[in-house]
Amino acid sequence: MSTAQLIALDLLATLLAAAGWVGAGVAAAARHARAALALLAVAIVVTVVRVTTAVALATGGWWFAQDRVVLTGPLLGVAGLAAVLLAGPRLLSAVRAGTPGNSPAAVVPLLIAGYAGAAGLLFPFLVGYPATWGDVLVTVALVGAAGLVTWRVAGAGPPLWTFLPILAMGLAGVGAGFATGVDLDAGGGPESHHPAGHGVSVADLRGPTSPAPGGQVRRYEFTARETTVNVAGRTVEAWGYNGQVPGPPITASQGDLIEVTLHNADIQRGVTLHWHGYDVPAGEDGAPGVTQDAVPPGGEFVYRFRADQVGTYWYHTHQASDVGVKMGLYGTLVVGPPAKGVDLTVPVHTFGSDTVVGTAGTPEAAAGTPVRLRLVNTDSVPHRFTLTGTAYRLVAVDGADLNGPAELREVELRLPAGGRYDVAFTMPAGPVALHVDGDPGLRLGTGDQPPAPKGWPELDITRYGTPAATPFGPESRFDRSFTLVLDRGFALVDGVPKYAYTINGRAFPNVPTQLVREGDLVEMTVANRSLDTHPWHLHGHRVLVLERDGRRASGSPLWLDTFDVRPGEVWRVAFRADNPGEWMNHCHNLGHATQGMALHLRYDGVMTPFHGGHGG
Amino acid sequence: MRRVFVVLSGLLFLAILAQFYFAAVGAFDRPQDDDSFALHSIVGMMVIPLLSILATVSAALARAPGRLIGLSLAPLGLVVVQVLIIVVGNAISGGSDEDTGAAGLFVFGLHAVNALLVMGAAGAVLRRARAFAAEKTTVDTPQPTVSPAA
Repeated sequence: MSTAQLIALDLLATLLAAAGWVGAGVAAAARHARAALALLAVAIVVTVVRVTTAVALATGGWWFAQDRVVLTGPLLGVAGLAAVLLAGPRLLSAVRAGTPGNSPAAVVPLLIAGYAGAAGLLFPFLVGYPATWGDVLVTVALVGAAGLVTWRVAGAGPPLWTFLPILAMGLAGVGAGFATGVDLDAGGGPESHHPAGHGVSVADLRGPTSPAPGGQVRRYEFTARETTVNVAGRTVEAWGYNGQVPGPPITASQGDLIEVTLHNADIQRGVTLHWHGYDVPAGEDGAPGVTQDAVPPGGEFVYRFRADQVGTYWYHTHQASDVGVKMGLYGTLVVGPPAKGVDLTVPVHTFGSDTVVGTAGTPEAAAGTPVRLRLVNTDSVPHRFTLTGTAYRLVAVDGADLNGPAELREVELRLPAGGRYDVAFTMPAGPVALHVDGDPGLRLGTGDQPPAPKGWPELDITRYGTPAATPFGPESRFDRSFTLVLDRGFALVDGVPKYAYTINGRAFPNVPTQLVREGDLVEMTVANRSLDTHPWHLHGHRVLVLERDGRRASGSPLWLDTFDVRPGEVWRVAFRADNPGEWMNHCHNLGHATQGMALHLRYDGVMTPFHGGHGG
Repeated sequence: MRRVFVVLSGLLFLAILAQFYFAAVGAFDRPQDDDSFALHSIVGMMVIPLLSILATVSAALARAPGRLIGLSLAPLGLVVVQVLIIVVGNAISGGSDEDTGAAGLFVFGLHAVNALLVMGAAGAVLRRARAFAAEKTTVDTPQPTVSPAA
């Protein structure tokens, strides 16, 4: 059973346990001693089941069970045991003697156990990971207060002053919640040598101004402006670089210097250019509030970087990116010689409810021609691609070539938000069709359009291709280890309390900044406790996938810039800290990033003079 | 305090009516995206639970019978079930971004059935809160004293 299913099963067991305890209390209060006794037995059984689901969750990773083990499990255990000891004998003798059995000494402990069960049900939704000391105090105080109120309503009850220690406990918990303000996470490595706010400014970490020997300068002028696009016969309001959606495609040969002058005509919220997956110098990264200020209407910014990485990449605005990218501020970046034959870049983007494949019409491809399709997911959710009519190879992921990719047929390729897949095949005599999420996307060759395939299994890219030597691996000794537990819960997002997307219980900008030093070998573990997929994206570095759910990647080395951490999954990845700067590290479901799921990774000795950026 | 209990129960009932309305708004919103059900989420996750807790507190302060206090918590308990239906449906489908299968849809459909139970519970709370308030009026109204015949 997957961890995501275990989470659901555990919540169901918790609901039944809470309902069992409350039901027993209500039945006792309603003078049905026999029914109360039966419900008590059910509650005990379900509570024991719930212990096993919590233990099973812990085997998927401590993070999935932490709140159950340190808080809600013991709380229900203690309250349940007290209820059994206090209410059990009274209900038994009531059944034997035929009396009602509705004394407060029986009813109140049962209801308190029910409140403890309800706390266990609500905690994962409202707070999530981790359960801190403050959370423990507040939760126990709330259950205690509800118990005291019940006791007073049910009968005599304790005097009013007994609320005071409960109130004090709750206030202490709330206070503790505010007090814990760590702003740096050194990941087990040495702390900062440089005081905050001192060191090299990211604004000075700029790209070279000349190409490599033999390379040339590729100059582009981009003006971001409001425009309209035609989607499935409708005219849709959009924002585009040079009024185009996608923006002008950027192509270059390895060693060229790419220089893009960005102007903003009328995008009131501002724009930038972020080179997704391209490890540019920090000052060129286009992260507003971190590496530059957003370009306002009338403003300008010049980006320069060397085209050193060959492969398929893309660019997009990083200012109010949730809205900006959705509206059309993106385009493709392809470096290297075009593949022989047909070489098509296929950005996929969703406008409203229409998913559009960037290449229009039916490209010419005679039988026997080599074809390379560069699939780019510019949306915030994954897309599923199928290719019918031919066998093919997945030759590159996120721009990096795979080692020994085997021939594929009748599989589904699931491309994370922000990710790229390059697929290659030789054009057969018949037509070839690319489907996106089961809808027709692109067709090559002539003949009847084949129907969308159904039920094809998904390709597991962590087992695809053949292994090869990597500069480091799962056994390496890491200088720093970071853990990111992704969840939902109430947290401050830019000072506003929200039902946020959280990292280790916090939301941007309150997530401690990860600190590294140049040259460090860094491992990052990302665990997803929520029921949403989180495409994780670290700027400025590609990461090597080490493990998923404790199982090592066994195929080709996978160097990714965006990896999909699905519900209940745990990914362990690693990278060499070789690109000094201050970098965004965030969920590329940009709506999630805007609602808190983002943090910074800073090199010791680097500072940013920019402020006011947000998660998206 | 009994009047406060009646008013809060009434607001709770109205919030649940609005919740049905927002569910339809979300279902027919085009294009369908994360924001389609924003109002439905806010009312369901914040407004209804808060009103339910406030109604329960006012019932306790008004010294309503324990059974009525318990009943006023029922909408909250059923709203938790509403959220859980979504969670279980998503878990069966493999996550909120995945296509739904028959089993997932079977579970998701229960969201509408349970919604009727939430409304029924809130209706019962309102009816009994009013009866409880009326009871108070009869008790509190000074009875005309009958002076013994001289």
